[in-house]
Amino acid sequence: MWTRKAAIMLAGGISLILVGMMISNFQMMIIGLTFISFISINGWIIGHSELEISRYVPHSNVYKGDLIEVSLTITNKSYRRTQQLEVFDNVPHQMKIRRGINQIRLNLGPGQTTKIDYMLRCPLRGHYSVGPISVRFRNAFGLFMNESRIDDICDITVFPQVRDVEDAMLRADVPKMYTGATTLRTPGPGMEFYSLREYLSTDSLRSINWKAFARTGDLMVNQKTRDAVTDVFVILDTREVSRIGTVLKNPLEMGASAAASISNHFLKRKDSVAMVTYGNKMDFLPPDTGDKQHYKILSRLASVSPSGSMPLQAVTNALAPRISRGSPVFIISSLEGDGTTLPAIRNLSGNGHSVTILSPSSIDLERLVSRIPRMSYEVLKLERQNRLTAVSGYGAQVIDWMPDVELSQALLQSRG
Amino acid sequence: MVEMKEKREEVTETLHIPALRRKWQIVVLQVVSTASLLLLLKRMSEIYGPCSDQFVIDHSETSWCPSYEHTRGLMWLSNQGDLYIPDILLGIGQTGTLSLIGPLMMCAFAAFAADRFWSLSHELQTKIKQGTWIAIGAWMVVPFVFSWVISMAYNGLHFPWDHIDHLFSPLGLLLEMIFLGIVFAPVLAGLIGIWGLSKRSISWAVGYFIIVIAFHSILTFEPVLSEVDLGLRPLPTQIGEGSMFWGLVSPLAASLLGIALLILLFMESGIAAISHMEYASSLPEDAKKDREYIRQFNNVVNSHLLQLCMVVALVAITTALALAFDDLMISLVGVFEGSQWTGQVKESLELQMTYGKVISAGLFILVVAGMRFVVPWQTLAGYFESALASLRSSDSVEQSDN
Repeated sequence: MWTRKAAIMLAGGISLILVGMMISNFQMMIIGLTFISFISINGWIIGHSELEISRYVPHSNVYKGDLIEVSLTITNKSYRRTQQLEVFDNVPHQMKIRRGINQIRLNLGPGQTTKIDYMLRCPLRGHYSVGPISVRFRNAFGLFMNESRIDDICDITVFPQVRDVEDAMLRADVPKMYTGATTLRTPGPGMEFYSLREYLSTDSLRSINWKAFARTGDLMVNQKTRDAVTDVFVILDTREVSRIGTVLKNPLEMGASAAASISNHFLKRKDSVAMVTYGNKMDFLPPDTGDKQHYKILSRLASVSPSGSMPLQAVTNALAPRISRGSPVFIISSLEGDGTTLPAIRNLSGNGHSVTILSPSSIDLERLVSRIPRMSYEVLKLERQNRLTAVSGYGAQVIDWMPDVELSQALLQSRG
Repeated sequence: MVEMKEKREEVTETLHIPALRRKWQIVVLQVVSTASLLLLLKRMSEIYGPCSDQFVIDHSETSWCPSYEHTRGLMWLSNQGDLYIPDILLGIGQTGTLSLIGPLMMCAFAAFAADRFWSLSHELQTKIKQGTWIAIGAWMVVPFVFSWVISMAYNGLHFPWDHIDHLFSPLGLLLEMIFLGIVFAPVLAGLIGIWGLSKRSISWAVGYFIIVIAFHSILTFEPVLSEVDLGLRPLPTQIGEGSMFWGLVSPLAASLLGIALLILLFMESGIAAISHMEYASSLPEDAKKDREYIRQFNNVVNSHLLQLCMVVALVAITTALALAFDDLMISLVGVFEGSQWTGQVKESLELQMTYGKVISAGLFILVVAGMRFVVPWQTLAGYFESALASLRSSDSVEQSDN
């Protein structure tokens, strides 16, 4: 592709030749011819992007705020010089370059290699792709340009931050009825040894006790004591109203971090955690335990975005048949713009669930981006306080979470 | 020992602008650009500086004509009254290249001052501007008031009409600057562009030179000349027989081609230095110290220098060949002497003045441009380079074995 400089030079050259011919002036003609010769000779220098570019990213799953080190190795495998190339690794605009730079201007000889390293910071959770790699050949004199792409894409998932809430949960006024895994004296899935029995075709080979087999000559399997776990339900509000605030500080971001931290806390205690998000539609992740569930929850939280206006009661109604009796429920919502909050919580409490509401203060978050008159702020704040008091009146533990308060500190403020 | 040296190089070589300003490749580009600019000024003065022979006969050697020469205008101005700038700096009383030295020194000083001025803080710049305007104002008003008051002390109260000429004192200096600026404005702009890193100034200087050439061409065009003769010396309408470089170019063509090539060299080398520094300044701090970035920067700048030399040389050869291509075609057609067609072709090509030469030159350049699809020079050069690299590496292995 011709650049503007080349086009101007060609047009100028032709004009000088024509004017020179018209007024019989050799100087103008020669300058015009020189310009056109310059373009013609430069046309001989062609760059190429037949490069071998490999990207190395050590971690594809990171937590919000973490740093990722990216390395690009560029090798010219051909028998030609690359000429002046600009290699640019496309980085999502949500990520910030902390060290180095994601581009280089180079001229590699045959077989030569170069490497660039840069460090990215991921300030926002989500699923992102680094790449493709843009390679632009630019003539040394800026006359011609050619751009190509190398579709080397690296997917990166940025999980919400997981805070340590262990201490806060113990000291908080939240119910202590779910004390982690407790063993029952019956065989089933669990960790502790219960007894030996004969091998059945449905048993996995991993459960065979080889020492017992050697001793008895029969295939024997280990039976475990069944672990009884509590199902904890975490409901996260991802409605459009959860967008209020800044990109980094809004009810959804605070809520995602809180949901990840609370889930992590219970999963570490070998409890079973279910995750429900609602906004445009309801997404339900059935209760389960272990690292796999932790990963599923984090992935789910990484992809949530504010949209929709689904009422909370629709969620609780839909959950009613799936929710175990007496299971504790965590609702993380600003409780804004939903008239069904009170009946929904009343129903949950009425069914014997201990409900804890973690409510990021959307009015205070809005103050971060726009100036609210003092009187309006006071009125809005009072309305919010009344709403929270009404909710707590139905037996729910309510936490009014201010933007500048850490999650662990907020958990200690629960009131019932 | 070698490792220590390498480590020291790692620390010392960075892509910071002060370091790049001392880097030999960048300095070479800037020096080449400056030399081209000065040579261009010299060539332009030689070709477009003298007045026409008829004008000299009709008037005198020192009479003013609107040619690309500064001393005649300044001498005319000195005849009207004393000049503020000393003659040695204006080049008055000197001839040829010597007359350019004084103004060139002023240009160099002005370029340096301008560079320093722009590197100052905005507040300081404003203060300097204000100070300059105040000085000019004082220069206008103070002598006027003094002479009026003194005159009133001796002659009594009267209107200051007789002292009003003091108010126009700075105008004399301005006129001197205008006469100098007509010739040296592109030089000043070029120097500011090269050393003050301004692409716009370089483009402006190139544009100015082309405009000077265009004005000269129009004012010396035969129909214009017959109506208004300003005393400019026209270029010959015949380019002449090739007598230089093995009969390739005529002396006139060599001079004109020289100007075109100098314009190109000045523009490209000046802009190249700025582009490379622009790229370096856009890099973050840690990339400026990164060995890979430094290595690639050197690669890019070295190849740019090489390409500049090669391309300008090839452009010179191509344009010279293009200008002589019609002669070659006439010789070729001459081989087939006899037929009506050859006669017609020969006649049309013998229109050496303009059309035949330009059309044949255009055809030649077209062929040169098309040759890139035929000649795989980059692949051949690549093979040569890899062979050279493998030879070097085997040599170094042998040396290390020994």
